[in-house]
Amino acid sequence: MSLTRMFKIFRKDLALGPRSPIFMWAIILPFALTFILQVAFGSLFSAKPRLAIVDQGASEITASIKQMDGIELTLLDSADEMRAGVEANDFDAGLVLSSGFDAAVKSGDKPLLDLYIGGESLASNRIILSVTTLDLVRQVEDSAPPVDVRVENFGNEGLPISVRLVPVIMMYALFIAGAFVPASSLVEEKENGTLSALLVSPVKASEVLLAKGLLGTTLAFVMAFMTLFLNDALGGQPFLLVVVVLAAAAFSSVLGVAIGAASRDSASMFTLVKGSGIFLFAPVAFYLFPEWPQWIAKLFPTYWTIDPIWQVAVLGKGFDAVWLDLLVALAIALALIPLIRLLSIRMQRKLVAE
Amino acid sequence: MTDAAIKVEDITYSYGDLQAVKGISFEVQPGEILGFLGPNGAGKSTTIKMLTGQIAPKSGLAQILGKDITLDDPDIQARIGVCFEEKNLYLSMSGKENLDFYASLYGIKDAGSVEILRRVGLADRAKDRVKTYSKGMRQRMMISRAFINSPDVLFLDEPTDGLDPVTSASIRNTIKEEAGRGAAVLLTTHDMFEADELSNRVAFLNDGVIVALDTPENLKLKYGKRSVKIRLRDGAGVREETVALDAPESGELIKAAVGSGEVLTIHTEEATLEDIFIKMTGRGLAG
Ligand SMILES: Nc1ncnc2c1ncn2[C@@H]1O[C@H](COP(=O)(O)OP(=O)(O)OP(=O)(O)O)[C@@H](O)[C@H]1O
Ligand SMILES: [Mg+2]
Repeated sequence: MSLTRMFKIFRKDLALGPRSPIFMWAIILPFALTFILQVAFGSLFSAKPRLAIVDQGASEITASIKQMDGIELTLLDSADEMRAGVEANDFDAGLVLSSGFDAAVKSGDKPLLDLYIGGESLASNRIILSVTTLDLVRQVEDSAPPVDVRVENFGNEGLPISVRLVPVIMMYALFIAGAFVPASSLVEEKENGTLSALLVSPVKASEVLLAKGLLGTTLAFVMAFMTLFLNDALGGQPFLLVVVVLAAAAFSSVLGVAIGAASRDSASMFTLVKGSGIFLFAPVAFYLFPEWPQWIAKLFPTYWTIDPIWQVAVLGKGFDAVWLDLLVALAIALALIPLIRLLSIRMQRKLVAE
Repeated sequence: MTDAAIKVEDITYSYGDLQAVKGISFEVQPGEILGFLGPNGAGKSTTIKMLTGQIAPKSGLAQILGKDITLDDPDIQARIGVCFEEKNLYLSMSGKENLDFYASLYGIKDAGSVEILRRVGLADRAKDRVKTYSKGMRQRMMISRAFINSPDVLFLDEPTDGLDPVTSASIRNTIKEEAGRGAAVLLTTHDMFEADELSNRVAFLNDGVIVALDTPENLKLKYGKRSVKIRLRDGAGVREETVALDAPESGELIKAAVGSGEVLTIHTEEATLEDIFIKMTGRGLAG
């Protein structure tokens, strides 16, 4: 076993990466998926109501809205500009606060407040903006609301869909870069006969498999981080994040090497990937559907590396929350090593003969 | 006597129920070229696959440089070169990148890849991807890769397959150079002229068995027919007579032909390896 030779093969594969469609796909996929899913779900589920204000004095209302997280506020200079923006659906609503507005409200006059609502705005956003505005006017007036409102949370409380999608994108990034790239690289060497050429040189099969694993781990590590970065989910503990992402990348490349060693050609590799895909991807469905019984997710091997990333990157948890998961993942990976060794012996026999 | 570089004793190999190699024995000395001849499916490539460690013999002994090759020993593998029957190059890498990569696996720092490519006439295409090479160019790449580590033992499975005559001749020269520096060469070919020109000895393999193994000269003496072919004017046409040289009546027959005054040409007919091949295997050259 020579690490130098292993590294030479790794370097060759890395240099060949840009010439390989699957390698390039692995790089583009997290960007494309993040973009598509966040456009599809992000704007549908979590876009904040957009309000434009033309504040001619220095109204308390403007100051209060600025404090609110849930409303995207834009301050404009002219009423015409605001009306044009609302008409173009750049804002859901707009209002003009004249210079004496606060004073007039406080003195008991009932000044006119024009609220412009965009015709294309979502009903929910209109309601939020109207109610909020009225509520703030009442605060300026300093009067108590005429009724008491009891707030009761109804339906699913939880993280927005854009956050719950992160494990899905992450799993794709890890699987394509970490498992599919090394598996197909190995299968390609079998199909082209270059693996036979490597094996009659001093190179050993274990060195080839390790090189492919390193290729998958490296690529998956980079792409997983890229996914977290794109989805604004880097958590607060950089070192722990590196550990959990590295563990997940290495874990998927162990699966990739096993798939590659077990497949005689690309056709059988695709069959194997299709067959095992559902098994590998199942855990991420449980993040999308929090009402499902969560313990079921733990029956799938990839849960044990996806969950630590979820805990650290999304929920901001610490080492306490993930060490057990990581230990289970390590145990699964170690259990796979003898299997890969068997597959490797079988692979060398099958290269030539029946 | 030097130790044999390749030593094979009674090895066999079966693919499932099909016994492809049925117990063959031979040796190749350093600096010697052994030509392996035989019809398609005779077991030539299977023998090379056993000797290069790609498959393990079902029985028998196969030693390369004094060590058992089936043990998959990197020290031995570092000293052999293999030109495969099927081309297996990295198509998306250039010729030079291919050679540099393989050289690095042998721990060779400065491989002189371009110089090696020059020997096979590919220096000016060194930077182009192998994808863009013609069939013959790829074959030349295969040969140059086998030379990359200056091996002590060379296995060449149909190295000049698909090469034009001029290139073939130049490749034959490089193979002789390799043997000249001391490499033991085991070569298969379907080109009898090539086998005759290159080989110190040839082995005829038929149906998994070596049916003859000797120098080309000895084989020709032993199995060849020595004869003269005489073309005679015969009325308006031409008649051909073949007269064996070693028969008791040969002298009389030739004298009579020459005496007739009708002789157009007389040629001595040398036995060729092809004649022997047909005699040994009961069929003509396939492939
Ligand atoms: N991978 C394989 N699986 C099954 N049978 C095989 C395999 N490779 C070769 N054989 C069989 O083994 C026998 C010997 O084949 P081999 O390739 O050694 O012949 P060869 O002498 O190299 O022929 P050629 O001149 O066509 O290259 C043939 O009968 C062939 O059908
Ligand atoms: Mg052959």
